[in-house]
Parts: sequence; C-alpha cells; structure tokens
Amino acid sequence: MKKRLILLTVIFALTIFSVVSGTEILFWAMGNAPAALHNEWMQQKAAEFEAKTGIKVVFEEIGWGDGPRIMNAIITGEGAHVFQLGTTWNPEYAATDGLVEIDIDEFGGADKFFAANLESTTLNGKYYGVPWFAETRILFYNTEMFEAAGVRPPQTYEQLLEVGQKLIDVHGTGRAIATAGTGAWDLIHNWAIILWAHGGDMLNADNTQAIFNSAAGVKAMNYWVSLVDKGLASKACAEYNQPQADAAFISGETAMAFMGPWNIADIAHDNPGLKYAVVEPPAGPAGRAAFSGGSNLAIRNNASKEEIEAAKEWVKFLTSDEVLADYTKNLSMMLPANKEALNDPYYDTETWRTFIKTLGYATAYPPIPEWGAIEGIIQTNFGNVLTDYVDGRFNVITSSKSYLDAAVAEVNAVLNQ
Amino acid sequence: MKNVRLLGYIFILPAVLAMIMVHIIPMGWGILISFKDLTIRNIRNWQEAPWCGLKNYIKAFNPVTTVGQRFLRSLQNILVYGVVTISVGFFIALGVALLLNKPFVGRTLVRGIILIPYITPDSVAYNFWRFIFQSRIGILNEMLLRIGIIQEPIMWLVGRNTIWAVIIASIWKGWPLTSLMLLAGLQTIPMELYEAAKIDGASAWQCFKYITLSYLKPVIKTIMIMNILWNFHAYNQFVVLFGENVGIHAEVPNTLIMREAFENYNYGQGSALSVILMLMMLTITIVYLYVFRAQRDE
Repeated sequence: MKKRLILLTVIFALTIFSVVSGTEILFWAMGNAPAALHNEWMQQKAAEFEAKTGIKVVFEEIGWGDGPRIMNAIITGEGAHVFQLGTTWNPEYAATDGLVEIDIDEFGGADKFFAANLESTTLNGKYYGVPWFAETRILFYNTEMFEAAGVRPPQTYEQLLEVGQKLIDVHGTGRAIATAGTGAWDLIHNWAIILWAHGGDMLNADNTQAIFNSAAGVKAMNYWVSLVDKGLASKACAEYNQPQADAAFISGETAMAFMGPWNIADIAHDNPGLKYAVVEPPAGPAGRAAFSGGSNLAIRNNASKEEIEAAKEWVKFLTSDEVLADYTKNLSMMLPANKEALNDPYYDTETWRTFIKTLGYATAYPPIPEWGAIEGIIQTNFGNVLTDYVDGRFNVITSSKSYLDAAVAEVNAVLNQ
Repeated sequence: MKNVRLLGYIFILPAVLAMIMVHIIPMGWGILISFKDLTIRNIRNWQEAPWCGLKNYIKAFNPVTTVGQRFLRSLQNILVYGVVTISVGFFIALGVALLLNKPFVGRTLVRGIILIPYITPDSVAYNFWRFIFQSRIGILNEMLLRIGIIQEPIMWLVGRNTIWAVIIASIWKGWPLTSLMLLAGLQTIPMELYEAAKIDGASAWQCFKYITLSYLKPVIKTIMIMNILWNFHAYNQFVVLFGENVGIHAEVPNTLIMREAFENYNYGQGSALSVILMLMMLTITIVYLYVFRAQRDE
C-alpha cells in the first residue's frame, strides 16, 4: 500500500513536472526591497526554481500605483501570470472573476497562515490568493525619553494620554508621539485599531451596512485629533505621511510612534544608537486590537493550463518556509504570513515576538470587492476632520460625527449598488 | 493632379490610422462606457455592463450626490487655480521676457537658467515644494517667521491654504515656458518701429501698448489657450504635493476622475466626468478662438 502511494506520488510529481517544465511565466511584485537587491534575489531564486522544476520565471518590479496595470492584465490576458496584491486588494480583484480559485490545502492548509491574512485572500468564502508576508503596527517607544520622564509604556489608550502629558512636560510640546496625517495613504489603519479597541466595527456582520459612525468610531476619531490638540503630537503631524511620522520617532524627536516591522531595519540604518523598545497596541474598553496587512500572491486565470500550474508551483516555492523566511528577514523586512517560517531563529527576539503576538489577534478589513472604495471614503472623511482641525473649525461634539455620518451614507450607497 | 492628391492621402494614411488607433478609438470607448454602469464586477465583460443612460452625467451635476458635490467643488477649485496661476504666471513671464530682450552680459546663460523650473520633472519639482511647504521644518515658514510676517507656522499642506500652496508651486513651474515664448515673440518685432515711434514722440507706455502688445498678440493667444488647457488638466502637482487624498480645498476634476475610475472602480462615472471635462475644454477653446478671430477680423 505504502509503495503504491509513493509510486503514485512520484508519477503525479513527474506528470506535473513534464506538463509545466519549459513553461515561462511572468511575476510582478512591488518594490518590497531596494531594487538592485530585490532583482538579484529574485533572479537567484528563479534560477534555483528553474533548476528544480524546469519552469522559467521572469521577474518584473512594479509600483504600488500599478493597480490599473494588474487590472489590465486580468482583463486582457497580457501581463503577469502571478502578481503581488496588497491584502485589501485581493477580494477586489477576485470580484473580476479573473483570479484562479485556490485550493488552500495545496499550499499547506489554512492553519499554516495567520488567520487575518488568509481571510484577506477570500471572496464569498473561497480563496483567491495565498498569503505571502504580513505586517501589523505596534507601539515603539524611546526608552531614554521614557526614563527621563519617569514613565512606563502605556497599556491602555487612557494611559497613553497620561504618559504623553508627562513626556511633554519633560521634553516639550509635540514630542510625546508622532502621528500620521492627511499625507498618509494608510491613515485609516491608525483610526481602525482605536475603533476596534473601543468595541466598534467597520461593517455589520453580513457586510451589508456601515456601522463605523458609532460612538466608538467618533471616540476613535476624536482621540486621534486629541493627540495633536493636547500637544502630545506636533500640529505638523496633521499633514504627515507615515514615513514622516516614522522619521520623527527614529530621529529621536518624539518618544512614541505606531510603526511596522520594516521600521526595525530603518532604525538600524538611520539611527542605530536609538534606545527603543516595543509594546503591543494599547487596549481600549474592548481590549487590544491591531490591523493586519501585508501582501498575497494571486494567479491570473486567463492563461493556459500549463502556465497556471507553473504559476502555482512558483507560489508554493515563494511561500515555502525557508524561501519565505529568507525573503522577509533579508528583503521585505515584514513577517512571513506562513507561521512555520517564523521558526527561523531571526524572529526569536522580544521585538519580533511582540509583532507575532499582535499579529495573532490582528483584524483584516472585510473581504469584499468594495473595500477599496470604502477605504477611500473613510480616508477622505478622516482627512476632512483633520482639515477642519487645521482650519480651526473642529468641534469635538459635531465634526467627527458629521463626517463619519457622511462617510457611512456614502459607504452604504456603495454597498447597495 | 488626381494622382498627386491620391499620393498625398496615401502618405498621410499611416499617421491617420495611428491617430484613429491611439486617439479616436480610446476616446470613443471612453464616451461609450460613460453611458454604462461599468464597475469592477463587470469590467472583464464590459460589453455586457448594463446601460444606464445619462445617470453618470446627471450625478455629476447633482449637488445632492457625493460625486456631484465633489465635482462642482472641484470645478470651483480649478477655476480659482487656473485664473490665479495663469494670470500671475503670465505677468511674471512677460516682465522677465522684457528684461531678457535687452542686451546684457550673460543674457544667453540667464535665458538657459530660467528654464530650470520648467525642465525639472514634475515629481522632483513638486516634491521639492512639498519640503518647502512643510509646516514644521519647511523653509517657507522658517523665512516668514524670521522676517516676522507670521507668528506661528502656517499649515500649507492641509486645510484652506492648500490651494495657495499649489498655485505658488505651479506658477514657479510654469512661467519659464511662457516667458520663453514671449521672448521669441518680442524678438520678431522690428526695432525700426520703436525708433519711428520715439521720433514721433511716443511715450514708453504707448510703445509698449501699441507696438509690443500688438505684435505679441498671436503669441499671447497661443500661450493663453495652452495654459488654460494645461491648467484645467492639472493633476501631478496636486497629487505630489498632497498625496492621493488631496483634501476638499484642493480637489480638482482630474484628481476626482482618477479616484472615481481607478480607486473606486466606477469606470462609467469616471468616464462621464472625463467627457464633461473634455466638453468644457472644447467649449472654452471654441469660444476663445471665435472671440480672437472676431477681433482679428475687426
């Protein structure tokens, strides 16, 4: 019986090899690492993969603004066979009916991946991508500035305000925390974690109605504004993008910032002498909450059977434990979405353990095709709140509520289309 | 004669075919989908996307809808942006062109140097301005604070000042080309006219008004129509300065179109807004050319 099973496996492997061997596929990924390093790594891995399978992979780096290009490939069948998709993009592209439905067991099974990242590959309960790498945001703090102010890292959002006040008493106004503002494309993530921690949510259970204008949503929005209003963050933060907020912390200008795993390498490069530590995001009345992001790998379905099989083999190769750990620790500076790749000793540090723990309870945005539009609507209205604040028109009772109400009405219109 | 004419048509045929392929067909497709409810869910089978008549166009002008509110506001913003940028840029350009028309040592070098803003790629130039406008560390606020014009940093990149920030940056970027074109026009004016006018006792203002401006009229006409079209199509400066989310004070038609079509994947709505913008530009151009032609005929 066992011999027969081995024989069948060998025959299956040989069949796959003979079918896809000699096939050439195109792979598009974003600039997840410095271009030269990224290209070199991809070419090296493509050569290893070709030696192993006979499939030739051509790598091409694209930008985060190349969503329409991916869409063109899906529509016309001209372009990459495998491409990187941001986690929030996956359901959107799946809705075009242009992605290969994935049998997740072929890629190691559902348990192999972080739950939120896996959820981001789904549309109507089916998988249309394989999680590649993951990220979440946690609270980085400057240990020297904390010591000088005699404070400990905050465990709740209320504590963050108290600690922040003590920090600015010692270090000056605007130096407690660096926050992102209207310049940040990912501004929404900052608000979302406070919303969830206060018991709110984006949409109702069946994703048919927006509910983020709840008391929790308003409180979360006001909380973000209050960081600037109370002087914990500089007023300039209202215009910052995320890298500017990160830079303010990394340079030692501010004592805290919510940052991602890639910032560990930024600190090592830009200010290796910075004394810092990390803690999980603070808890709200509903506990701790975190945002789950990262990227997935998806396969275009208007390709030949051989190309689709070859593409699947390439995805399996890229998401295999060793290859993925090598990629995330040396290139993308993210976390592997495949949990087994975390067994690499590189991830056995306090900082990485905090990231891994946080990612364990992180939340993905609802996997619906309309999410991109919804995110844009929320982002615009978050920007409007900050604009009102800068223009001196912000009212703590009405501003956030009215913009969130407007956003909910707009989102509901999108959902009802 | 007939053969010669036929040969002419054969020679222009490749260019005409290319124009049809890259201009006419995509434009026609764009107009077609503006009457469809084309979204991410039916983009792969766009022919089967449902027709929606004038819905996308009505929405664009309906102030009750979010798209309508934004589109009308974007038209208002682009009008302010266009009028200020074109007029201020024109006067700076004219002043510099008049100065550069006088002989002085190093004139050729200066003529080259003034083109630097124009030849700098948009992404570089407007990123440079983004640094200048930073509220905390930007040199503009630093200078204004030092000379005592302001008491605390101004927020240029968020809020109501955004439109002025983009106007300043666009004027800086745009005036050199206008200046170069005006300078080329100035150099076609025969010096004898000025000499004759002086002999007849004409003042400097009269010389400027009746000789310089009269001769520059055709150049100014071309410059104005080009500037109107370019400024109404402005996109890069807004996105580089403020990011994808440009904010209510700096939302212009093109940023809205890009968002509707490629962020919200409402291709039909995005196309309708593009068609409206195209028709507006076409109308402005026709009226402008008609008025100028009428003046010329007079």
